[in-house]
Amino acid sequence: MTMNAALQSLVRPALVLAVLVPGTRALAQQEGKLVIEAGRIVTQAGPDIENGRIVIDGGRITAVGKADEVEKPWDATVIGGPKFVAFPGFVEAHTSQGMDRPNESIDVAPFLDVRDSIDPVAYFFEDCLRYGITTVNVQQGWNCVVGGRGMIVRPVGMTVEEMTVRPLFGMKLSARPKSGKSRATQMQTLRGAFDDLRTYLEDLVAKEKDEQGYAKREALFQGRDLEAEKAQGRAMTSTAWKVDGLELIPRGAIDERYEPLLGLLEGRYTVFFQCSEPVDVAHALEIARANGILAKTTLVIEDGCWKAADLIAEAGVPVVLEGPVVDVQRDPITGEEVETFAPGVLHDKGIRFALSSEDPNSRSPAFQAALAIGRGLDRQVALDAVTKVPAEILGLGNEVGSLERGKLGNVLLFSGDPLSITSWVEQVVIEGKPVYDRSKDLRNKHLLEGVQPPRTAPPSAAPGEDPEHAGEKGEKKDEKKSDKGDEKSDKEDKKEDKKEGGGR
Amino acid sequence: MLTLLTLLAALPAPRPFALASDGWTIRASVVYPVSGAPIENGVVRVDGKKIAAVGKGGGGGETLECAAVTPGLIDLSVDIDTGQLSVEQSTETAVRTSVGDALDLFSYEWRRDLESGVTTALAVPADYDVIGGFGVVLKTGGAHTLAARQVRPEAVLRGSIGTQPSSGNNAPRFGAPQNFYYRRPTTRMAVEWVFRKAFYDAIQGEGAEDPERAADQQVLRRVLSGELPLSIQAKATQDVRTAIYLKEEFGIPRVILDFAIEAWREPELLKRSGVAVVLPPFPPDGRYDDGFVNDSYFLPLDAAEQLHELGVPFALSGHSARTVGARLGDQAGLAQRGGLPFEAALEAVTLVPARLVGVDKRVGSLEVGKDADLVLWSGKPFEPTSRVIGVLLDGELVLDPRKR
Repeated sequence: MTMNAALQSLVRPALVLAVLVPGTRALAQQEGKLVIEAGRIVTQAGPDIENGRIVIDGGRITAVGKADEVEKPWDATVIGGPKFVAFPGFVEAHTSQGMDRPNESIDVAPFLDVRDSIDPVAYFFEDCLRYGITTVNVQQGWNCVVGGRGMIVRPVGMTVEEMTVRPLFGMKLSARPKSGKSRATQMQTLRGAFDDLRTYLEDLVAKEKDEQGYAKREALFQGRDLEAEKAQGRAMTSTAWKVDGLELIPRGAIDERYEPLLGLLEGRYTVFFQCSEPVDVAHALEIARANGILAKTTLVIEDGCWKAADLIAEAGVPVVLEGPVVDVQRDPITGEEVETFAPGVLHDKGIRFALSSEDPNSRSPAFQAALAIGRGLDRQVALDAVTKVPAEILGLGNEVGSLERGKLGNVLLFSGDPLSITSWVEQVVIEGKPVYDRSKDLRNKHLLEGVQPPRTAPPSAAPGEDPEHAGEKGEKKDEKKSDKGDEKSDKEDKKEDKKEGGGR
Repeated sequence: MLTLLTLLAALPAPRPFALASDGWTIRASVVYPVSGAPIENGVVRVDGKKIAAVGKGGGGGETLECAAVTPGLIDLSVDIDTGQLSVEQSTETAVRTSVGDALDLFSYEWRRDLESGVTTALAVPADYDVIGGFGVVLKTGGAHTLAARQVRPEAVLRGSIGTQPSSGNNAPRFGAPQNFYYRRPTTRMAVEWVFRKAFYDAIQGEGAEDPERAADQQVLRRVLSGELPLSIQAKATQDVRTAIYLKEEFGIPRVILDFAIEAWREPELLKRSGVAVVLPPFPPDGRYDDGFVNDSYFLPLDAAEQLHELGVPFALSGHSARTVGARLGDQAGLAQRGGLPFEAALEAVTLVPARLVGVDKRVGSLEVGKDADLVLWSGKPFEPTSRVIGVLLDGELVLDPRKR
């Protein structure tokens, strides 16, 4: 080994770590190569590939193409086959599931971090794999004014660290009134949060200027050494409104309760702004504009918010559609029921939108995309809404959302056309590592396929029956039963485990 | 006068009734007649209120084009809100009341069902009585009179086994003021007892000197003879068992178990007893823990497939779901997700329910002479990527595919 090579082998893992945010561990960094073969590959980056092959090395896709054009590394594990359809893993742009209680009673709590609340064994993450969601943005629930900071995870791992894709990503703001608040108090509290920050910073600067050394004394009181923290003051140059003289204040001296909100103003976090009614959209945009965070804002919209599509289009912000794909409302005057295909309205106005697994009807992104296509949305637009667009919203446009060389090896193998009701997610690969196999998903078997409890039939079934027929069918059934019976005992064990584990 | 006549003659011929007399020609990439094999590039010819031809060629009238055409769907378990006013609560066995008298034909929910492809429905009284009265089969659209919509007035007698007829009832207490809530069954056992007593009395002619009771018993004897099907709401496993035991005890020939969430748990009983089953809608994503049904019930996605394997006649139901993606056509999709073949899913929302309530001579398949109830689809029926784009009801275009 030359000196150079030795150096490289030392440096490369460090580089990989450096690319990812500190504290993150690439899932498949140590895994070997994986080859996925499929009868059809829907790359979401150009035309579909018939009889294709995907090579994943070090967690990333190194080649995608026709099987006879892509070389199969001799040391790679091979999965898939001609009956499968490969598809990029779905991306969930926003969810408040998978946490132990997603809401906080404090109105303004930007200092919180969902990392402390995410429950790796939550049923939700297991479900994500069943539906083929491989990248999940977890944010605090809507029941807040200013929520904590969220994070992007992959739905596998026993610790939050293992799951982490991007820590401290995004911040939740809500225009939807927190329970117990009116819209007026919600807005007042929202404005107040930023006013408080401003007042606080101005006080801090004033005190510093008065040479009271307030910040220093506070730090001393807290036992912190400002110099040792190397905290540098920074002027508010990148924000919509300014506090003059903030550069005098070392960052470490700013109270942690306020600091994340200052970070928000400086564009460090994507805002996920919850809107339950059209009027909330106007409110959210007002707050975003007033504080110069519009460019970093994504609206999370519920049922009727499509009515504010003009406002959204004008603001140019992307949205996550949490309401149903078809909004059904009853006209209060005519009494007629009116169905509105929300993605159609958004698309017509040129709004970029992501569909969400928070839809009450189905968590499956494939089903939602299919429904949208059924209602006339362009196939590519619908598929992008569950892959590319959410990836872009999460700033992961170069990482996930399509099957291309250089992107993360997040691949789904469907049993047929991903949009057909009869297709199932058969296998899930996250960063080159097979993490889900439906044939081994006992819980799915129980929930979705049903398991006949053994020997529930009353013994009276036999007499009076035609012995010939009873023999035929009885035999067949016994076979089936014994199969399923065995599975069941496994399942019960697993269910017990789950209960202790917490669930959601 | 003469000038007026000349003027009229000079005008172009009026054509307001031209459409009705010429009828419709529906061309579809696939015609699913249900009663026969699918016809590729087929044509259905509608003349007046009836189907005039089903096949490859022919034409006339206005032409509609679509990807697929099926018969109008039939839902034996709609949920049009009639509330408690559809059921007589002064007695547990309101045998001779008919839900037809309580239906609000102006309810917007009919239109919801119609536009999602359901053209025929069985309406039954709300299940607050052990025997709640007659159910009626009717079209989901048309003039706002029962006479205009009714397909079969006394289609079933409705009963309910389980907790619902007893829920909200109080056991009589000493010294407490009496109201009718104290008179009704308070347990599953008592519900069964009321049911059994009604049929026992009917067989014995007990108290038949009272003309009211005699008339009630006359209806129950129609059930016992097999002339009138008995539709029983039976959700949990024990309710399914009870209903089947009662069927066998009294030898009731035609029993339909409605909302039979857990019927699949009793395959042997179902097969032996010869009951038919109406499955409730599948909960979202096939999950029972999402709040649709109570935790103690469990409906797996392959319940329909299991019944199909057993040879038990079953129908699917949409329960007039508000959510798009959960309606009757979508249920046929979900049943396929659970393994049911397409053909069986199609039958379970058309011909099977029609037979169960005895209206298959008029609806349930595309055959010459049957009612012109048609559903036009944008793609393969029941797939989420397809939708209902057109509906004909009795030959009238109630949802226009050209406006979609």
